[in-house]
Amino acid sequence: MRLRWGMILLVFVGLPALLFGLSAGFYALAALAEGLFTGGAGVVNVFTLLLVMVMVFSALLTLAERKWSAAMQDRIGPNRANLGPLRLGGLFHFVADALKMLFKEDFTPAGADKWLFRLAPALAFIPVFCLFAVVPVAPPVELFGETVSLQIANPDFGVLYVFAFASLAVFGTALAGWASNNKLALLGGVRATSQMISYEVALGLSLVGAIAAFSALTPAGGSSLRLEQMVESQSTWLWGGGGGFDFGVPAWGILLQPLGFVLFFAAAFAETKRAPFDMPEGESEIVGYFVEYSGMRFGLFMISEFVEIVVLSGVIASVFFGGYHLPFGEAWLQGHLGDFWFAALQGSVFWLKVIVLAWLQLAIRWTFPRFRYDQVQKLGWRILLPAGLFNVFATAALVLLDPSLRLLALFGLAQIALLVYLVGSGGKPAPAAPDERPVAVSDHDGVSA
Amino acid sequence: MPYKVSNEKLTLREQAYLPEMIRGLGVTARHFLRNLFTRRDPAPEILDREGPCQITTVQYPEEKVEYPPGYRGLHRLVPREDGSPRCVACYMCATVCPAQCIYIEAGEYPADDPSAPNRVIERYPTKFVIDELRCIVCGFCVEACPKDAIRMDTGLHAVSSEERRAFMLEREALLRGPAVEHPSDPWRKREDSSAPEHGEKEAHRRISPRKNGG
Repeated sequence: MRLRWGMILLVFVGLPALLFGLSAGFYALAALAEGLFTGGAGVVNVFTLLLVMVMVFSALLTLAERKWSAAMQDRIGPNRANLGPLRLGGLFHFVADALKMLFKEDFTPAGADKWLFRLAPALAFIPVFCLFAVVPVAPPVELFGETVSLQIANPDFGVLYVFAFASLAVFGTALAGWASNNKLALLGGVRATSQMISYEVALGLSLVGAIAAFSALTPAGGSSLRLEQMVESQSTWLWGGGGGFDFGVPAWGILLQPLGFVLFFAAAFAETKRAPFDMPEGESEIVGYFVEYSGMRFGLFMISEFVEIVVLSGVIASVFFGGYHLPFGEAWLQGHLGDFWFAALQGSVFWLKVIVLAWLQLAIRWTFPRFRYDQVQKLGWRILLPAGLFNVFATAALVLLDPSLRLLALFGLAQIALLVYLVGSGGKPAPAAPDERPVAVSDHDGVSA
Repeated sequence: MPYKVSNEKLTLREQAYLPEMIRGLGVTARHFLRNLFTRRDPAPEILDREGPCQITTVQYPEEKVEYPPGYRGLHRLVPREDGSPRCVACYMCATVCPAQCIYIEAGEYPADDPSAPNRVIERYPTKFVIDELRCIVCGFCVEACPKDAIRMDTGLHAVSSEERRAFMLEREALLRGPAVEHPSDPWRKREDSSAPEHGEKEAHRRISPRKNGG
């Protein structure tokens, strides 16, 4: 087997090391700015987390979508863009894409509502971009005499903020469809609206269970809606923990709320408007709500989808996968590394989780055929909504019965076990049936008739 | 070939959708990991790859798929060992050509030419022009040639130029590739009437070592 050692080193050593260094650097910048004036850390975080990390991640995801889908389909993918002899496996394609977008003609159709037409891309992009403000990237830590954390804002209403801004994004889509003065774009906008309305309910319900569960772990006076509090709750142990290496079962959302995770993932995926939920785009039938857009205005719609992927990964990592926490060995590492370097390590852990979840979303997009429009609505109203309700009631009952959440975790583990069993019991497809065509009777044998 | 679609009812497990989704994701993930972490086999003739990396892309200008032996590429006039064409200007190829893209002007070796082969074969083409833009690559000229003097085994198929003039291939441009000599060539007159020593049917053997495409 001929392994690509360069790629292995890059993925397992280079990437974590880079993220570790970036996190440490971001901490240092935030602490320096906080030393200059109060609130400076927040301003610096806007630049480092939003403009550097989220934007670069989304820009790279446009390339990753092409390269990763190529790998999934046994292709190579784009690899020709270069700076002279430097190719880096096609890394410069996203630069080329951006340049192309910027230099294309910016066209406005004659009958379009000029004002709304220009406003729509911004309306689609800004809310999605703002979403990341409440996602905790790394914990607070003492540095240069200031306490800073890699989180832009830490409001009490963290999860509600996510819901509020996630649903604002649909205005951009709907307005783009309306203002284009194009039947197909309008259809796309209407579809987007109805899809958002259907999945908004399921989206909210699917997190109620998690909020209820983590409220049991929240100390008195804390808010269990606060995302950072949720992450902190997940560092507690359900079983085990402590000891030399600090090994046990952590209270991660995925163990407490596997059903909630699946529901939230599905609903949030529908909100990103990507395949298999790409009804508003509908490439094959209506081209999409952005038919009339060209150049960077279209680019904003496209990049907002990818920003949404990053944000969604961040939220899921925070609520269901322990945020910046490792599943074990934290106390041991903190003892050996010291507070600051451990916090930087946690920052890199968070970004690694985001990368894995972003990969999962791209893999889903390249694995499943898209739903029909009625199937989308059916899934939203008849499956996700009742399942979400069931999850809320079951979780609430189990949290009331056992505030240590062990009962809830057992319930969650039972769900996971059932899923694993169902996945495992799917056999290989039955061998192809033998040819069932009737064997042709040879004419040469019984000629006498 | 059409195949039978089994319209069996979905089992309850399949209707649950989620387990089958995860199995589907497993397939994609497997392909992804194999192709990401193992090296691509760049040998272009291997299209049915066995190794862990299943990427089948051929990076075209750098890598080329080898053509099948019967592939008809750009013509060439086959030279003799001394570099002169084997062609005897019999006009068979020009006659059979359905696109009428071959133009030949015949010349005669002078009777007192000291070289023995030239005294045997007498005629040669002074001009031999093929209009490659008219050629339909049917290969009739190769079949018609009695002297194995024109072949289409160069393996070039994507010749390009910015001017039409460049596709009028003259004798000098056509006369290329490895020389071919057969034991039965007329300038190798045998003293007695024994059969020529055909090791094999050379005319049907590709003599030039094939390179990758053109």
